[in-house]
Amino acid sequence: MAERLYDLIFICMPTTPEEEVAKIVHTLEQTASEHGGKVEKVEKWGTRKMAYRVAKQREGLYVYIALQSTEGGLIKELERRLKVSDAVIKYMTVRLDEEIKRQQKLVSHREHRARRRPRKPVVAAAAPPPSAPAAPAPEQPAAS
Amino acid sequence: MSEQQPVRPSGPPREGRSGPPGPGGGPGGPRRGKRQYFRKKKVCRFCVEKVDFIDYKKVEMLQPFVQERGKILPRRMTGTCSKHQRWLGVAVKRARNIALLPFATEL
Repeated sequence: MAERLYDLIFICMPTTPEEEVAKIVHTLEQTASEHGGKVEKVEKWGTRKMAYRVAKQREGLYVYIALQSTEGGLIKELERRLKVSDAVIKYMTVRLDEEIKRQQKLVSHREHRARRRPRKPVVAAAAPPPSAPAAPAPEQPAAS
Repeated sequence: MSEQQPVRPSGPPREGRSGPPGPGGGPGGPRRGKRQYFRKKKVCRFCVEKVDFIDYKKVEMLQPFVQERGKILPRRMTGTCSKHQRWLGVAVKRARNIALLPFATEL
């Protein structure tokens, strides 16, 4: 059975107390483990300004959960719980395993191609062209 | 990073004008300086950095490709390749759904 990876982001009202948020997360974790899933990571992004008004609020408390599951019905159950909860004003689940698989395939293809052509051994991060903005190449004296 | 190229009011390329027929003739061949198709050779930023996954959660990565009004910039403005433009669209739409990016803002 393929392991499916999901990203679940939900936004709570900014006035929600900390233990309420922890309770929601705990409920989600419990539901996940009941249905054969596993919570990989929980990140609390804290209060953030939202791009538009949701439930007449300008800010929201963002929580991000990465989870793995073998069962597809788990997501429906989790979303049902979030919908029922009063503190949660918005939620979104993204299924990521196909994308991760494709990403890994691209990476492996690129490495395979690079190995076929013998390249000059590069010292630091693999020879970024001078227009790469964020590559921390210490030997490039040209700083932006 | 704010290397925003000035947004030229680029309408449809004027074919009716006099001039050499067709846009063929090499990339960035400015004929009379009147209406150039490619100002300079733009490279796809994602191809250069070899980005494999455009994360919808990273707003700062998506911001240069979105107008102030919230609209997604077309490929000819940003120089992105078609594959990455599609991924970018998906990522921006996801970010909009989760209120990280606006759908539309009033100017």
